Amino acid sequence: MTGGEVTEVGREAQELTAARRTSPLIVLVHTVTFRQARQVVPAAIPVVAAVGVDGVGVVVALVAAVTALSLLFAALSWWRSTYLDTASSVVLTRGLLARSVRTVPNDRIRGVEVEAPALHRLFGLVRVRIDAAAGTLTGGDEEVVVDGVPRAEGDRLRTSVLTHRRAAAVPAGTDPSAPPPEEPGEEELARFDRRWLLYAPLVASYLAVPLAAVGALSRLLQELPRQLRPDLDGPDLTDVRVLVATAVVGLLLLALGAVAGAAVVNWGFRLVRRGGSLIAVRGLLTRRHTELEVDRVRGGTLAEGLGMRLVHAARVNALVTGLGAANRRGQLFPLGPRAEAVRLLGVLVDDPGPLTPHPPAARRRALVRAVRSGLLVTAAGAALTGLTGFWGVLAAGVVLTVLGVPLGLGRYAALGHTTGPRSFSVRSGLLVREQAVLQRRAVVGWQVRQTFFQRRAGLATVVACVGAGNGGYAAVDMAAGDVAAFTAAASGRWASAPPADVPGISG
Amino acid sequence: MSVPPAPPVREPAWPLSRSAIWLWVTQGVLGTLVYGVLVGVFVLTMPSSAGGPVPVLRWLLPALVVVYAVVAIGIRPWVRYRVHRWEVTADAVHALTGWLSRTWTLVPVARIQTVDVTRGVLQQLYGLASVAVLTASSQGTVRVPHLEVGVAERVADDLARRAEQVRDEAT
Repeated sequence: MTGGEVTEVGREAQELTAARRTSPLIVLVHTVTFRQARQVVPAAIPVVAAVGVDGVGVVVALVAAVTALSLLFAALSWWRSTYLDTASSVVLTRGLLARSVRTVPNDRIRGVEVEAPALHRLFGLVRVRIDAAAGTLTGGDEEVVVDGVPRAEGDRLRTSVLTHRRAAAVPAGTDPSAPPPEEPGEEELARFDRRWLLYAPLVASYLAVPLAAVGALSRLLQELPRQLRPDLDGPDLTDVRVLVATAVVGLLLLALGAVAGAAVVNWGFRLVRRGGSLIAVRGLLTRRHTELEVDRVRGGTLAEGLGMRLVHAARVNALVTGLGAANRRGQLFPLGPRAEAVRLLGVLVDDPGPLTPHPPAARRRALVRAVRSGLLVTAAGAALTGLTGFWGVLAAGVVLTVLGVPLGLGRYAALGHTTGPRSFSVRSGLLVREQAVLQRRAVVGWQVRQTFFQRRAGLATVVACVGAGNGGYAAVDMAAGDVAAFTAAASGRWASAPPADVPGISG
Repeated sequence: MSVPPAPPVREPAWPLSRSAIWLWVTQGVLGTLVYGVLVGVFVLTMPSSAGGPVPVLRWLLPALVVVYAVVAIGIRPWVRYRVHRWEVTADAVHALTGWLSRTWTLVPVARIQTVDVTRGVLQQLYGLASVAVLTASSQGTVRVPHLEVGVAERVADDLARRAEQVRDEAT
C-alpha cells in the first residue's frame, strides 16, 4: 500500500463534499418519458375503466392529469435522490417514503458506462451506469445508475470512480507505484469505417430489426378500425412479374433496414486504450461509452455467423470478469472485416496459433447426430407408406436426411482447439461459429463430459470454466486421449489431475 | 461390449459413502411408487372399451413402470456408486459423477470461492451430506454428493481454509 497516505487525505477531502443531486433538467426528461409514473399505470387503468372515457374533454383532462402526476413523481424522485462518490465507495440514496441507501465499495466496481440517449442529449445530460458485480452466489449484477447529470459531471464521476477504484484495489500483478493521475495518452485501436455497414444485411441480428418493424406495423394495421384502414386493392399475385418485383423490393428494403439499424447502433464506433482501460464509444442516437479494465480481461470471442463467413466479416467480444450484460458491454468490435477482428482479438489475448482439427470420430458423430432425426422420420415414413401408401412423410424424411449431411459436416468443420504459451483457444458452433481465445489465468476449472456414445467413440467434450462471458467454453468431441495434455497445457499441472500427494482426508 | 477405452482424465481415488447406494435405492423406490400410483389410477379409471391408444397403454404403461423399477432400484444405484468418485489433491478438487454419461470436474484450490455443505431430507436419514465447491464460473462447480456428514464437514473446512491461504483473485 504505497498510496495509503494519499488515499487517506483524499478520503477526508471527499467526505467533506456533500452528496450531489442530478441535474433538475432530468425532471423534464422523466416527465416526458413517464419514467416514475409508469409504475402507477397498472393502478390507474381500473380507475379509468370505472370512470369511463367518453368525449374529448375527458381524454384531454386525463392526459393533463397523467402529465401533472408524472411531473410530480419525477420532481419528488429527483428531490429525494442523491449520490456521493467518496474515496472508498459510491453512495446512492433514493426513495420517496422508504429511504434506501446503497453503498458500493470501490473495489467492487468493475466498470463505468456513460450513455447519452437522444432525449438526454437534448438537455446536455448523460446517464452513468456503474457496474458492481456481486459474487456468483447472489447471482445478477447490481447495477447502480446515476441518471441525468451534465456531460462534464458524468465524465468527472467516471474518472473519479475509476481512479478511486484503482487506488482501492491492491493490484497483484500490476504496478501500484505508477497510477495514472493525469489523463494518460490514448492509443486508437479501431475506428469505424462506413463500408462496414454493407456487411449488415448478412447478419441475422441486424436483419431482425427491419423484420420486427414490419411485424409491428402489420399488427398496428390489423388493430386499426376498419373505416380507417386504407382501402387498397391487393396486388395481382398471380402475375409472376409482380411477385418477383415485390420480392426484390422487399429484399432491398430489408437490406436497407439492416444497414440503417447497424448504422444507428454502431455509428462513429471508436475503440481506444487509455492507461489501463479499453474504451469503446458508439451509437448514433444513444451514444454509448463503455470502459473495460484491461486487468480484468480474460480473453475474447470471435463470432462469425453464416452470412458473415461468406464475406469474411466477424465481431469480437471481450471476456471480462464480473461484467454484467456481457454481450452488450463486452462488445469491442461490432462488425467488420475478419482480419481487423483478429488483430483486435490479439490486443486482448495472445494468439495461440492455428487450431488443431478434431479426430475423424468427431466427424462421424456430428454426421450421425445431424441425420438421426431425418432417418427416424424416413423410417416412420417408410412404415406409413407400407401401411397406407401415403409417401409424403417418406419424402420429407429423405430430404431431412440429405440436408443433415452438410449440417453435420459444417458442425464438424467448426470444431478445433489449440494451446499456446500464454493462451489457448476452442471453437464450435453451427450457424454462428464462435472461437474463444482465453488467457491461461482465465481458467477457474475444467469440466470433462463423456456421454455413453462419446465413450465408445473415444471422444470427450472439454469445457474450460471461466468467470467471464457465459461461464464456460467447450472443445466439443476432442480425442479422449488428448484431454489431459490439453487441459494441462492450457492451465497448469493441476489440470491433468496428478495423483494425490497429500494424505487422504476421506477417513 | 468391447474393452472400455481409457478415461480422458484420471479417475479420482475415493469412493462415496456406501450409504449412498441405499439412498439411491430409496429414491428409486419412491419414484416407482409415484409412477405406480399414477399408472394404477390411469388403468383403473380408463374404461377398457375406450378406443385409440388406450388398450395398448393399458399394458404398456405398467410394463414401463416395472422396467423403471428394475433399473432405478436394481441397477442404477450400483452403477452410480461405481462411477462416482472424488479426490482432493494438493492443489485441486476433483470429482467424477454420472451414470451413463460421465462428468469430471476439476477446480484448483486457488480458484475456490465458496464451499457449501447441504443435507437433504433423505440424506439426513442416512447420515449423508453433499459438498459443492463453487467458483466464479457458473459452470465450474464441483459437486460431490452423498458423503458421510463428518467427512463432508472436514473437507469443506479444509478446502475453505486452504482456499483462504492461496487464493489470489479467484476469477
